[in-house]
Amino acid sequence: MTVVEESDALHARVRAFANGADDDTFERLGMDIAQFQARWSAGYARLVKARGQTMPAVPVEAFRLTRVAVHPPELDAVAFRTSGTTGAMTGVHALRTPETYRELSLLQGPRFLCGPWTGPRVVVALAPAPGNKPASSLGFMMRLFIAALDGRALSVHPEGSPFDVDAPERWLFGSAGPNLAGLTRASRVASERGESLLVLATSLALLALIESLDGETLRLPPGSVVMHTGGFKGRRREVAPDELRAAVSEALAIPRSHIVGEYGMTELTSQLYEDTLRGDRAGVFYEPRWLRVTPVDPATLEPVGDGERGIARIVDLGNVDSAVAILTQDVVSRSEGGIALHGRRQGAPERGCSLAIESLVWPT
Amino acid sequence: MSEPLRARLARLERLLGAARRIADPADALGRRARAALGAAGLLSPEGVELAIERCLEANPTRGELRALCDAVPSARRAHVLLSANVLTGAHRAVAVALAASAHVSVRPSRREPVLAELLWEATGELFHLTDELAPAAGDHVWAYGREETLHELRENLPPGTFLHAHGPGIGVAVLQPRDDGRDIPSAARALAEDVVPFDQRGCLSPRLALVAGNRAAAEAFARELGAALAAAEKRVPRGRLEREEAADVTRYRDALTYALRVSPAGQGWVSLDVEGKLLLVPPVGRNVHVLRVDALEPALTELAPAITAIGLAGPSAVQECVARIVPRARLSALGRMQSPPLDGPVDRRAPREGELVES
Repeated sequence: MTVVEESDALHARVRAFANGADDDTFERLGMDIAQFQARWSAGYARLVKARGQTMPAVPVEAFRLTRVAVHPPELDAVAFRTSGTTGAMTGVHALRTPETYRELSLLQGPRFLCGPWTGPRVVVALAPAPGNKPASSLGFMMRLFIAALDGRALSVHPEGSPFDVDAPERWLFGSAGPNLAGLTRASRVASERGESLLVLATSLALLALIESLDGETLRLPPGSVVMHTGGFKGRRREVAPDELRAAVSEALAIPRSHIVGEYGMTELTSQLYEDTLRGDRAGVFYEPRWLRVTPVDPATLEPVGDGERGIARIVDLGNVDSAVAILTQDVVSRSEGGIALHGRRQGAPERGCSLAIESLVWPT
Repeated sequence: MSEPLRARLARLERLLGAARRIADPADALGRRARAALGAAGLLSPEGVELAIERCLEANPTRGELRALCDAVPSARRAHVLLSANVLTGAHRAVAVALAASAHVSVRPSRREPVLAELLWEATGELFHLTDELAPAAGDHVWAYGREETLHELRENLPPGTFLHAHGPGIGVAVLQPRDDGRDIPSAARALAEDVVPFDQRGCLSPRLALVAGNRAAAEAFARELGAALAAAEKRVPRGRLEREEAADVTRYRDALTYALRVSPAGQGWVSLDVEGKLLLVPPVGRNVHVLRVDALEPALTELAPAITAIGLAGPSAVQECVARIVPRARLSALGRMQSPPLDGPVDRRAPREGELVES
């Protein structure tokens, strides 16, 4: 079989498993993907051999240092770039097909973002327009949700008007910051239709929105939900999740339970969400059936004790063509059947005059 | 008016007398030093011994001491903020301050205060030990530490003080092997000698080796370096790594195994990039990244702001190239990077007069 044939077969199995098929197990599918990756990726084959394991985790730094993919670049359908917080290097997660990403995102996202409400809703993003070939996985996902969960022109009477996912009125963050007028308009459209509004946002964009509102309230329609994702790495101001949640709740006049955290990263195909719409505690993120997070000791990579903190080793069956197991820098613990996030691992501090590894990494 | 050279040299001699006692394993102070430094730090007992024996500058020449006095301004009062860097670092830092002033206050590192305390005791309190420095306008402050610490200091020092800030840095090995490659094994052994002291935690410690040569030369050098580091570890075992240091090593090992090729080198690792694409600094703990380059200039230019020391092996053209691009770095032959003359701070990137702190 060629790499594409093998990959297609695995993608099909993953999608079937995600949809509930029970003729595969998570473990067997994971092993099959890992073995496939070791056959077609020299880098992963080296790691498997060096560690003497079937499914060693690839540190996310590898995405910045080299191509992490089983297929050649000419077969890339999408290439997502990391934001690049270290030196000048950014990482790339290349997907041969976006179909699995699409399907898995839509299996997981709406469950947590729409709650029990099945009716139509207006969806906008507090993010810059990514264009039709998004370089960011978040932009890709937001675009997907706007199309799948709304899919109508942003007007009070959308019938007959063409839907454009890239319409500027959907993407409400630009170089000047949040587009307050645009968000007010989207809110009004939703209200007049008798629908709720789903706002997809980064934590930073929400913070900017709150600053722009300057104490004023922009009242969203009943049932509206805000999805927020991402931290504040490298930014001048950090806000605790609870503080941000409280501020957003007040600024947009929605209950705190309607502010749903999403955890994802460029190097993953799948996402985790808080289940606050169903009454769960904020701060606990739930894995989908096809993804597992294990907190591990950062030095030995052994799983830590139940409830203890470790860095997240994530097996994402959606990563068929890249790295099925990745090692993040995020500190997590298992909590109430999900995962609690505790920020990013900082790395060894510079001791006196010796530089830390994160200080210097450049491509030549 | 600057102080007579004779008075400055006399203070330095008192300090050197103390250092010689600490260096002497037969002296009671030397025995105490070994026990205390071993207990307080992360190095193995052999690592402590190596640091004291090879890196504690107890016997500089008269010329070096004169150069040391020339390398620093005369100061009414000098203050030293020490960091938890290499365990012998306190000695040179105090020497620099004593060359500048008769009134020296030292704040030791909270994590590694041992050597500063021993020197203070053995010099008959030639300088003051303090928990809190209190510089005033006109005073000079020599500070060693992380960028964050130095930045904070800059913000908080009184206007009119002079700050000599010595921030983080790295050592780099630069070599251009002969065409027949016969000098590769000796260069690798020499580099291992530079990597081992302090388990690579010092700013002179080489973490990266630039090999100007062909692919085969770089591969041979990486192989020989791995073997040399493994052999060196038998003589001087690597000490303990802190938890986060160990975690960094794990990530480096696995990320580089995926991206390039990594070979074991005792408890450390050697990564090799024959394509010359990845310029990176591995974590401490006896890890070296070997980068083959067609030309040295681009990589050296990128790294220049961070380079404190360069170890050289190769023709004079290589030395000329390095001196042109990194003029303030300490240059030495490979194998000599950890033993610079006691002629000033090891890090020569900061200006001699210091930075005047303004309001």
